[in-house]
Amino acid sequence: MTGAGVARDLSLRGLSVLLLEKGDWGAGTTGGSSWMIHGGPRYLEFDWDTTRLSTQDAGYIVSIARNLVYRVVFIIPVLPHDRNNIERMETAMEVYDRFQPLKKAHPHRRLTAEEALEAEPGLTRELIGAVTMEEWGVDPYRLVYANVEDAVAHGARALNHTRVIDLVRDAGKVIGVRYRGSDGAISEARARVVVNATGPWSPQTSGLAGLNVQLRPAKGIHIVYPHRISNFSISAESVDGRDLLMVSHAGFTLLGTTDDDFYGDLDSVDVLEDEVDYLLQAFERVFPSIRDYRPVRTTTGVRPTLFKWRRYEDELSRRFEVIDHASEGVEGFVTIAGGKLSMYRLMAEQTSDAVCRKLGHQAPCTTATTPLPGNESEMEPASELARRCAIPVLAAVKLQSRHGSRAEKVLDGGRAGRLVCRCEPMTEAELAYSAHHEQVRSLADAFRRVGLAAGPCAGAACVLRAAEVIGAELGWSASQRFEAAREFVRGAWLGRAPVMGQTGWAQEELAQGAMRGLFN
Amino acid sequence: MGRTDSLAKLALAYGVHLARRRLTRPRSQLEELLETYAPDGIRALKPAERELHPQLVGCINCGLCALAAGRIGKTRLPDLASSYMRLYARLRAASSDIVGDEADLEAAAAACPVGVPLTEVAAIVRRMTVG
Repeated sequence: MTGAGVARDLSLRGLSVLLLEKGDWGAGTTGGSSWMIHGGPRYLEFDWDTTRLSTQDAGYIVSIARNLVYRVVFIIPVLPHDRNNIERMETAMEVYDRFQPLKKAHPHRRLTAEEALEAEPGLTRELIGAVTMEEWGVDPYRLVYANVEDAVAHGARALNHTRVIDLVRDAGKVIGVRYRGSDGAISEARARVVVNATGPWSPQTSGLAGLNVQLRPAKGIHIVYPHRISNFSISAESVDGRDLLMVSHAGFTLLGTTDDDFYGDLDSVDVLEDEVDYLLQAFERVFPSIRDYRPVRTTTGVRPTLFKWRRYEDELSRRFEVIDHASEGVEGFVTIAGGKLSMYRLMAEQTSDAVCRKLGHQAPCTTATTPLPGNESEMEPASELARRCAIPVLAAVKLQSRHGSRAEKVLDGGRAGRLVCRCEPMTEAELAYSAHHEQVRSLADAFRRVGLAAGPCAGAACVLRAAEVIGAELGWSASQRFEAAREFVRGAWLGRAPVMGQTGWAQEELAQGAMRGLFN
Repeated sequence: MGRTDSLAKLALAYGVHLARRRLTRPRSQLEELLETYAPDGIRALKPAERELHPQLVGCINCGLCALAAGRIGKTRLPDLASSYMRLYARLRAASSDIVGDEADLEAAAAACPVGVPLTEVAAIVRRMTVG
């Protein structure tokens, strides 16, 4: 996310930028997040300034990406024996209310037990009261891509599935990068400044220049339910006293997250069944029917937390640091480390400021006020778009949530009315557009870009047809289309397996029957 | 220093909060809460619907219901039951989708391999699309 933000910021300032992503846009830490632009009330215990900065920047993001954000309202139930009583919880929310206007959010409300149960009948009868808190939900994949798209529109080059394999150096100065493209070819690019915005991979990337950037990577997982489980989002306390969240997004629910020091391979992070049980145990206490719902997958990511010794993972700061390595004798190389999704724009601004200082380039940052693509004008009513393009209104609503005021342009391809994914629902035209214009190179890329197979069927009903549509755009042969579908099903299985025990096997048998041959 | 400062300010806020609670009469804030977020589609389900909810959202989109109801390939209930239920907070804009939709929901429900009560799903979707 931050790399895309830096590319957008610098290209808006008139600089020539090349952005390289080793996987797909948002496929790393960003996609494994809680999908929220939040102010961080948790940080009130540690550092109010982080809360202020985070809330203020969340407000900017809400303004420039209106189609991608939606209100997420939490009920924070207070149970007997909870660490914080209702008065303490309300005090925290009263303090947080001072920051809420910065991100265009409403103040908290306090509810009695009866009122909380009326608002959210799924809560436990044992609660003694509740307070509410408002945050913003966001589609992080689209947020990354909107930044990439805008950077490209302002002259940047952006390549996904392109891995940096080395830094080009000249007498201690970093003067470029060597990279392997999606076709396997190795190329070189020269630059006056190279920015290392590789999140948890920052130590490895800086190691290519012989530098030591120290992080304390922390793994987090989420359980994904393919529908809205509760009216309101809900917080819960884990067995070890951590705050967990059940976040009701537009059409799905995220339940998480864990926070554990991670020492393994960043390119292969598995979800353990113990982690799933840890989360379910906590939510069963406040939302007793949680185990009656069928999760569809899990997600995981590794936070690039700044290093600190002698602290529990939860107590680590989410602050960030822009490091100009010139002070360590390596000129032309800047690392952005730490931080979180809600502050990506600010992180990008400060990184870009550092780059501009090095280049002697004087141009102000405009990313806080310049709308992202799709937000340049007001969106028309979804029903009007649906009528004109002969698609269900619900498909139009979803289309607008991804493309904003540019939605109709996406349907220009002539296949507007045909749905390829009924869970979402999504049209063939949008899928074809994503392959043609949005750097989709696999079905997994389409999952991230347009939500392919993100619903309850997990691809059983749409993956083969989707391979046909994308394959037609990208010139795949019949066997390539089949292989693409198989690759997607195999990859998706890794995220599904840890929650299969939760009433999912019956569906899995049906899906395997429907997709016979793809599992071999 | 930052942490000490933060905790001190929270302690002060706690004292002020307790004093205010003693001096003012609490009033219900539920109505305000629901009114504030009604435009966002939050709080759409009733307690009775909540009881049934795990079944209401159990659709796995296999398509058998649409086949049984003779509506395969169309874009209304029950073909999109799964989409409508999972996006129930955004249904107000979608009322025109299901106008005049008279699918054989009993036949569709009978064909469902995971037991989704499609008649109830349709009733909820219809209620929510009209606000």
